[in-house]
Amino acid sequence: MLIAIEAPSGAALEFVLLFAVVLLGPVIVERAGIPGIIGLLLGGFAIGPHGIGWVEAGNRTIPELGQLGLLYLMFVAGLELDMAVLRAHKREALTFGVLTFAIPFGGGVLVGASQHWALPASLLLGSLLASHTLILYPAVRDAGLGGNPAVASAVGATVLTDTLALVVLAGVAGSESGSGSTTSVLVEVAIGLAVLGLGSIFVLPRVARLALGMWGGDRAARFLVAVVSFLVMAVVAEVFGIEGIVGAFFAGIALNPLVPNESPSMERLDFFGNAVFIPVFLVSVGLLLDPSVMFTASTMGLAGLICVACLGGKAIAAFVGVPLLRFTPSEAGVIFVLTTPQAAATLAATLVGYDIGLFSTSLVNAVLVLILVSIVVSTLLSGPTTRRVPVPEAGASAIGEHVMLACTPDGPSVLARWVAERLSGPDVGIVEVVVVHEEGQRPVSHAELEALERDVFRGGLDGSIRPVVDVTVAAAVAHAVATSSPSAVVVDGLAGPADGDWSALERLAAGTPVLLVGGPGDGRPRGVELVQEGATELLDQVVVQELATRLGRRHSRSRTGASGGADPGQVAVVATSTWPMSGEDDTAGGETTIRAIVPASSLVGGVADGAGGR
Amino acid sequence: MTHSSTRRASPTRRRLLGLTALAALAVAVASVGLAGCSSDSTSAGRRFRPAEDGVLTVATAYIPAPAFWMPNFQTYAGFEAGLAYALADRLDLAEVRVVQVPFADIVAGDLGGADLAISTLTPTAEREDHLDFTSAYVDAPPAVLVRDGTTASDAQDLKDLRWGVVEVSTLTEVVRDRIRPEAEPVELADRTAELDALARGRVDAVLLDLPVAQGIATSSPSTYDVAGQLSGSEHLAVALPAGSPNLEAVDSAVRALRSNGTVDRLANRWLGGTGGKVRLIRVAD
Repeated sequence: MLIAIEAPSGAALEFVLLFAVVLLGPVIVERAGIPGIIGLLLGGFAIGPHGIGWVEAGNRTIPELGQLGLLYLMFVAGLELDMAVLRAHKREALTFGVLTFAIPFGGGVLVGASQHWALPASLLLGSLLASHTLILYPAVRDAGLGGNPAVASAVGATVLTDTLALVVLAGVAGSESGSGSTTSVLVEVAIGLAVLGLGSIFVLPRVARLALGMWGGDRAARFLVAVVSFLVMAVVAEVFGIEGIVGAFFAGIALNPLVPNESPSMERLDFFGNAVFIPVFLVSVGLLLDPSVMFTASTMGLAGLICVACLGGKAIAAFVGVPLLRFTPSEAGVIFVLTTPQAAATLAATLVGYDIGLFSTSLVNAVLVLILVSIVVSTLLSGPTTRRVPVPEAGASAIGEHVMLACTPDGPSVLARWVAERLSGPDVGIVEVVVVHEEGQRPVSHAELEALERDVFRGGLDGSIRPVVDVTVAAAVAHAVATSSPSAVVVDGLAGPADGDWSALERLAAGTPVLLVGGPGDGRPRGVELVQEGATELLDQVVVQELATRLGRRHSRSRTGASGGADPGQVAVVATSTWPMSGEDDTAGGETTIRAIVPASSLVGGVADGAGGR
Repeated sequence: MTHSSTRRASPTRRRLLGLTALAALAVAVASVGLAGCSSDSTSAGRRFRPAEDGVLTVATAYIPAPAFWMPNFQTYAGFEAGLAYALADRLDLAEVRVVQVPFADIVAGDLGGADLAISTLTPTAEREDHLDFTSAYVDAPPAVLVRDGTTASDAQDLKDLRWGVVEVSTLTEVVRDRIRPEAEPVELADRTAELDALARGRVDAVLLDLPVAQGIATSSPSTYDVAGQLSGSEHLAVALPAGSPNLEAVDSAVRALRSNGTVDRLANRWLGGTGGKVRLIRVAD
């Protein structure tokens, strides 16, 4: 025989099939206006044992990769929760959270009871119907409703529903898998949840910050710190007999303040999540899809019941909010659309229920029908409901949402980085470092920029860095501001008259606080002194108070008069409404000064009780 | 652009965390309490309906089978026997009755009236014409059984061994196509002949399903040893008559027994440990 051509087999073939589905599944169904998640589930079915059969029933590779994807999915779900919205609308969010959890939960338990299932199976079904995934939030936000209080309540409620759903999962799975008495399992799960809670509040953020301080300048290391974090928390959860996904979710909540939603780190996490891990999980779930089970009267009947329990429960919760939380009926419609889609937490709980033998194949297939129905129904209703809600006036943005830090090619000073970190931290915002220089100066090389990036973002800061060149330094800063619309600008040691005409920046940054950092000090200040300059009542203005709070925390004190005279090691934050670029030198008194130029628009009213930057 | 602020709000945050923690704890306590109080241990889905009320009737081919089915007064002991009792318990059945059925009959779909068969059965397309299989209760990749004292740690070591094969076994292809021994494998009549040839030194190694190899080595530790396992996605599963309405219930019960550690405990007791403890020898697919 001259050649021996064999049918392909082995790991390479499995990966080809897997990633072909990941690539083509969403593309094909999105052409029909169906969300990509459905394409991945159907693709998994197509190549699986109940479809063409290219992936056999005993295949371990795809399900095990899917397990990693499941942990990743729940980690990202925790990471993307909008804690700022929850804080800003806590009463409405918590009240609505309880409603939108409890009503579908009760419905699910009733469905289980009506089928004479074991109570753990009924409880788990209830919990998976009670959670939801904010698949349509980007569309609602793009329609201008991100600042609507009802929408914000639904977004904030997700923190509660997902957490409670996973707590039920932890309890039920613990009781099913644990070998001890009910009391011992209860104690074990309670201790485990306490360890996870305390770990995610006190330990993991500190450890992650330490790790980022050491390796955060390296993009890959930054990503891996996140991956290791959720895997460690998953292992900790399993030590206490709790499903790993609960630990991964808590890890997401723990790192939530360290990974801004718009940051490059989140972009990388999203990239790997959306390109590899999460689609692989969805394909692995699709392998369980079995038409011979799904398209039977009993499965479709069950699917009908859980669709009614879920969609009905979510609808009741949304419309109970009309009298209780003073939502309008139109807003209730949008809330229903937001809280109906079942995806991440539902799939996670379903797969865990299947793996521990609590859910049968027919129930898994019925839940897949629910996922399809919930996504399609909410997608179809999304347009008509959002159009009926009036768009509120432009939402307020948070000071620290997007801080621009303009510096020389030598990089930002320690003080300027500190200021940027203090401004962006509370809003979980990003810091955009802009290295500015005049035309004719030696350009910053790629290697220098990378070195600077590693140095600046080694610690808690997250963001990007770019060079900007213009005829003068002042023009370069103005150019940078014009192209990114930052929420605050920090200008580090550049604000002298020799740096050019600053009037363009004054005009472009109108409405944005600009902090000019200068003076001999170049370390983290020991204290902050708020100075009122001139006759204005700036110290009473909310934005000024906010700046002082962020920069000084509880250690700032106020004095009236010109800058100068602060104690050694203290920084004077000089609030002013006028631009000081006329040649005066703030450092004349030898004092380190942060001159905060407060936007005129903010002097009229206070600060909206708005959400943060996430 | 207007500005808003997010207060650090430590007291608010603490209250929120406290509230959430309280709610979480309450839900956890309620869930575990309710789940634990439940006397019904069956999953969601169809209930198991045995051929004989209160009895799980299990078919198996080989009795005694060392480490798998060993008569012990009125009952049986071993890895698969333990699995049968655990399944009965999970399915709320008080008794297990064992019937011996020839292997050829089982794979042809005749379980001798039993509810299910547990008999080191590997699902294949041909067998699925006559049987329905649950998900795996144990992985069963090919494993290298050698005489105690023989070592083999890589592909070249495997090539250098004298192999014994049973012509009708699917594992023979693995020996010929993946291991590709230097010497022509010795053809033997059946597994008994394989083990005999191995014990007498006529061959150096035979290839078996991993749990089977582990069971033999554990039963006769001074004679046999498992040198390693090859990569593979084969597994052992419980078989039911094709179209059995009990498939979902048994399948869920098998998954539960894997998940709650029952299968691992049985493997540790009868097979000398789970398959993960056996060295992986990398050979080409």
